[in-house]
Order: sequence, then C-alpha cells, then structure tokens
Amino acid sequence: MKKFRSLKNKSRSFYIFIAILLAFIAVGQFNWMRYLTHGPGPTGSSDMVPWGIYISGLAYFIGLSAGATIVGLVHHGFGRHDYQPIAIRSIILGLVCIFGATQFVLVDLGVPFRGLKVPIILHNLTSLFLVSSTSYYGFMGILGAELFFSIKVITGKASPREAAISKWLGILAVPYALWVVHAFTGSIFGVVKAREMWNTPMLPVHFVISAIASGFALAIMAGVIISKAEKRDLLGPETYNHMGKLLAFFVLLTVFLDFFDYFILRYSAKLEAMETWDIITTRYITTFVLNIGGLVTAFIMLLYKRWRTANGLLVVGAIIQIAIISYRINLVSVGQLAPLFPGMGHIQYIPTFSEITVALGIIAIVILLYTVLTNVLPVEEIVEKPMHQVRDFGRGFGKAKEAFAESGHMAETFGRGFHKRE
Amino acid sequence: MKKINRREFVKLASVAGASTFMPEPLKVLRDAIGQIFGTGQHSKVEYVPKPVTNAKFGMVIDLGKCMGCRRCAYACKRENNVPDTISPPYIMVFETESATGTTGHFASPEMMGRGTTMYYTKLRKDKWYMPVQCNHCDNAPCVQVCPTGASYKDPDGYVLIDYDKCIGCRYCMTACPYGARRFNWWEPHVPHDRQNPLVPMRRHGVVEKCTFCVHRTRRGKFTRCVEVCPNKARTFGNFNDPDSEVRKLVENERNFRLKEVLNTGPRIWYLTKPKEKNMQWYRPLPPFDNLRGIMHEKI
Repeated sequence: MKKFRSLKNKSRSFYIFIAILLAFIAVGQFNWMRYLTHGPGPTGSSDMVPWGIYISGLAYFIGLSAGATIVGLVHHGFGRHDYQPIAIRSIILGLVCIFGATQFVLVDLGVPFRGLKVPIILHNLTSLFLVSSTSYYGFMGILGAELFFSIKVITGKASPREAAISKWLGILAVPYALWVVHAFTGSIFGVVKAREMWNTPMLPVHFVISAIASGFALAIMAGVIISKAEKRDLLGPETYNHMGKLLAFFVLLTVFLDFFDYFILRYSAKLEAMETWDIITTRYITTFVLNIGGLVTAFIMLLYKRWRTANGLLVVGAIIQIAIISYRINLVSVGQLAPLFPGMGHIQYIPTFSEITVALGIIAIVILLYTVLTNVLPVEEIVEKPMHQVRDFGRGFGKAKEAFAESGHMAETFGRGFHKRE
Repeated sequence: MKKINRREFVKLASVAGASTFMPEPLKVLRDAIGQIFGTGQHSKVEYVPKPVTNAKFGMVIDLGKCMGCRRCAYACKRENNVPDTISPPYIMVFETESATGTTGHFASPEMMGRGTTMYYTKLRKDKWYMPVQCNHCDNAPCVQVCPTGASYKDPDGYVLIDYDKCIGCRYCMTACPYGARRFNWWEPHVPHDRQNPLVPMRRHGVVEKCTFCVHRTRRGKFTRCVEVCPNKARTFGNFNDPDSEVRKLVENERNFRLKEVLNTGPRIWYLTKPKEKNMQWYRPLPPFDNLRGIMHEKI
C-alpha cells in the first residue's frame, strides 16, 4: 500500500479551518464535562420532553451515513465508474457520520460510560435501542472493511479476490444499511405507542428514504466542496447530471412520504393527533415549512438541467439538508410535545446554549475526522485522463465481472482520477 | 520585565489551563471507571426484598372519595427520597370536570375536558380529582424498550428499576403512556436527616419512578400514599387473594384503567362510584412548582 499522505505543506486557510473546528470541539467537550460531573441539567430536555436535539442529531447523522452506501451501490452495482473519485470519500463520510451519530447517543446518555457496556454486558433483546446501537457497530465494521479493501484496490496492492471483496462489500452494505441500520433507527420511534406522531409503520420506511436523500446529497456536496477547495474537477458534468436525476427521485419519494404522514395524522383527527397537528402548524410552523417547502423546492430545481451541475447541486444539497434537519427536529420534538394527559400545561422544549455547543462540537468532530482522513488516506488514483471521459455506462453485474476478469486488476478497471483545471 | 518567548508562553498557558480544569477531568475519570467496572453503589438485593410468591399486587383508587388534597404526592416524595429537582414528583393529581355531566360519574381520562389542570389551588366539590402515577403495567412498554434490562417486571406485579444498570437513555420515559417516569437531571440532594434509609439515593443521570413502595409492601405494610390518604380513597392489595379488598372492589364496582386501548395492562384500577356524601374536605397542599419543561399559568 502507498504511504500515507501527510498533512504538512497545506495552505494557511487549511490550518485556520482545523483550528476553528478544534475550538468548537473544545467548547463542546467542556460543556459535556459539566453534564458528566453535575448531571445533564443544563440541557433543555425535561421529564415531559426527554429527548432533545441530541436524538434529532442521532437520527440525522445515521441518515447521512446512507450516502456512503448509495454511492457504493451506484459505483459497484450499476457500473457507474465515473463515481469512483468520490467512492472512497463517501465510505469515509459514512464512517465519520455513523461515528458522529454514536457521539450524539453518548452525550445524550445520563450515565454514558455505563452505556459502553450495552451490547455485551448489559442487554435486553426486546429493546430497539439495543438492536439499532449494535447495528451501528456492525455498520462501522462493514464500512471499515470496505475502506480497507478499496484503498488496497486503488493503490494497486489488491489481489483479485480482495478486489472482489471490496466490490461486494460495497453492494452488500446497502441492504444492511437500509434494512438493519436505518429501518431499525426509524423503528425506535415507530414502536412507541404512547406517542401518536411516532406510532406508525411508515416511520421506518420514511427514515430509510429520507436517509438516502440526505446522505446522497451530502456525498455530492462533499465532492463539490472538495473540487472547489482543491481547484480541480473531481467529477464531470455528465456525472453531476446523473447524480441530480437520482437525487430528484429520492427527494420525490421523501416528499411523498412526508405528505402522507402529515395527511393521515391530520385526517385521523384523534385527540393527540389534533394536538400534534396544532403544535406543528403553530409553534413549529417554521421547521414544517422548511421541511416540506425545502423538499418541494429542491425537487423542482432538480427538474432543470442547470441545477444539475456542480454549483447547482451544492445549493440544492444545502436545501435538502435543511429540509431533512427540520424533519428530524419536528419528528423528535413535536412527537413528545403533545401532552400525555390534558391539563399537564403548556409543554415546551427549547434547546439551551450549552446543548447547542455540545451538538456543534460533535459536528466539528465529524468534519475534522473527515478532513483529516480524506487528506491522509489515499482516496483516489491519480491518472491523466479525467474519469468522466473513460466511464462505462450501464454495465451490469455480469459485464462488470467479465471486464474484471479481462483486466485482471480492479484498479485498472475502476480507478481513475482527476485532471487539472485549465 | 523579562520577555517570555512563545515556547514559554505555551508552557505557562498549558499549566494554567490544566490546573484550572484538572479537578473536573479527574472526577469524571473516577466516575467513568466506576461506571464501567464498578458494581454500583446500591445493590438491588439490599434495598428490594425478594418477590412475594403467588401474589399479584395492585391498587384501586376510588375517584368518588378522592378530594385532590395532594397529601399522597407529598408523602410519596418524602418516603422515596425524591429531591426537589424532580418536579412534579411520582404522583400527579388532575382536577377535571365530570365527564358524563348528568350522572356525575367520572368516565375515563380520555374524555377529560380542556378545563383539566394539575395546578389548582382550591378544591371544588363539583370537580373530580384523579391521581396518576406509575401503573406497574403487565405489558409494560418501558420494560420492553429498556436497552439494558434496568427496568424489569417482577412476578408479583411490580415494575422496578435497577439503578446500577440504568444508562439514562430515557427511552422508557418516551415509551411510557402515563408520563410516570422521572429523570435525575441534576445530582439529587435530600438533607441527610430527612432521608429514608430504606430507599437508596439515586445518582444523577438515572431514571426513577413510583415503586409501589416496594421496601414497605413486600414487608407486609401498605404503600405510603395508601396510609396518608385522609378519605381512604386508595386501596392496595393482592389480586391473587379472592378475599382481598382490592379484588372485591374491582369485581363489584364500576371501574376503568388508564388508556386501556394501548393494552399495557395497568395495575391501578379507578372506581367510578358517585361522590362520597360524608367526605372530609381538607385544605389542599400547594401545587408543585419549578416544573421543568412545562409552562403553566398560575391559578
């Protein structure tokens, strides 16, 4: 394997960026330490609203990790080799996002270090928290293995067997991520019969689809941002166009599920459903509009080819992120705000400054890890020809296998790099 | 004054920073090691007597006798070492209109009207009062969702929490349809001379709730709320005993359980008898304040 790349000789702005991230992490960790010594009192959560933005963050970051699997599927499964420059980056993105999600769980726990004993020493098999948290470890393992073999492939050190393992891990990660990781994370909420907004079998599906939309959008955004930062074209216009079309499909599915979720909630007109609808349309109207409006806007934009470009996808991706974050906040908070008994009073949840700094600290950890790992690990093979000129459209599993057998080397078939911008 | 170079400045700053924050990390480290390797400060066996064989405990609350004086809530708080940082404590008492106005019978909490409140300060004879606490459900959702097995159901009917296993994820709190569980958002403080030695003090970051006074009831006493109720609205007993008072009340009187549609199998039955005519009306204890996460108008 090639030697690790070094973080030395980077530009000044790179180090300033790292310093800012470290400052956010320091503030977040300092506030978390206060929770550890005196209890999580400084958060805005309460006995009436036990889960706050940390659980929203968990749901959002778990969703983002889906981006890795979708890029892997399109790349390996559907033979779109022009996705290769962001393939390894997306695996790293998935890894750091799932790590970030576990950090959100950790800061949310009242006795966090005891929580580390959960799958092995402490366990109750009927708990979906146990199932989903264990699945996160499994997902980290799969993505880690995929990363290891992909790097071997890209550096030309992989045996044909290892190259095949890399490819199949990329494909098998998809059903594992969608059916085990995301669906069960959705089920954490879906099984709670006490809360009218959560208790629906649509929720696992909703989680899977919105995870794909936000994760894929983030993987594209990361590609565009790196292209801009390094002043080169990581992907070609045709690839961006293809990505835009795929993204439009996932966004449309998410809007469809969102619409019917709210429609059925309102139409059922149960007492708690009406309370929930009342909260959504009054106190949480901003996030509601951002959620639905953002997704609809993103879909309409993606219908036009001029938004399916690097800059366009960056804007659309940002809108999708805001929309999905709003959905996660609405789901977690509003779901608990509807009072369990009339007469409990006006239940409210306002995240505190300390809570927000801890959450920002975790986001900074995720960005820092991603920046360092993508700069240190060999993430793409450097060749003279731009990838989007040598891609092979529509190659299925069988053809890819044949091509692989002919070439005898994965790196020659799949790995391509970048060209300097004129 | 001697100039200090950058290296020295960094050294000094590190020492200053470390000395400022060192006690906290050390405390956290000690606590972390205790959480991972420690057996915990309160063993379940020591404080919780063994389950009673062939018994199934439960409670009956007669709404016709309850006048909403909140004595049960205050006594419970004192008995179970509930700190002031937990508010409302284990028992919430609601004031509500009669659901079926003509008969004057309280039908069910699902029909409670908008005028319902738990912040009343004066008692009214035309209103109904309903205490709500942990129902010790037979199919308890909190036990089902607990990832560590800290919440568990005993064969004699109690739903209890092992504070040495609880990781404070609060999944049980979101899953409980009765809002009966409380979290220690701060380190709980109860003056030493007011602490009940039979009940362990919890640490911050764990969940707690009504235990049906397991430390008393498994030793043959009644729960504290049953003892203090001035109108004897509450009855506690063994449902497996055909001669027990609770069994007779539930078999012979009209009753309901909270949110039965959810199939949680609550072990608290509410009797909907007409209001007791000779009931004693006492001055109510004040409503609980400093409520975390709830805004309410003072009445």
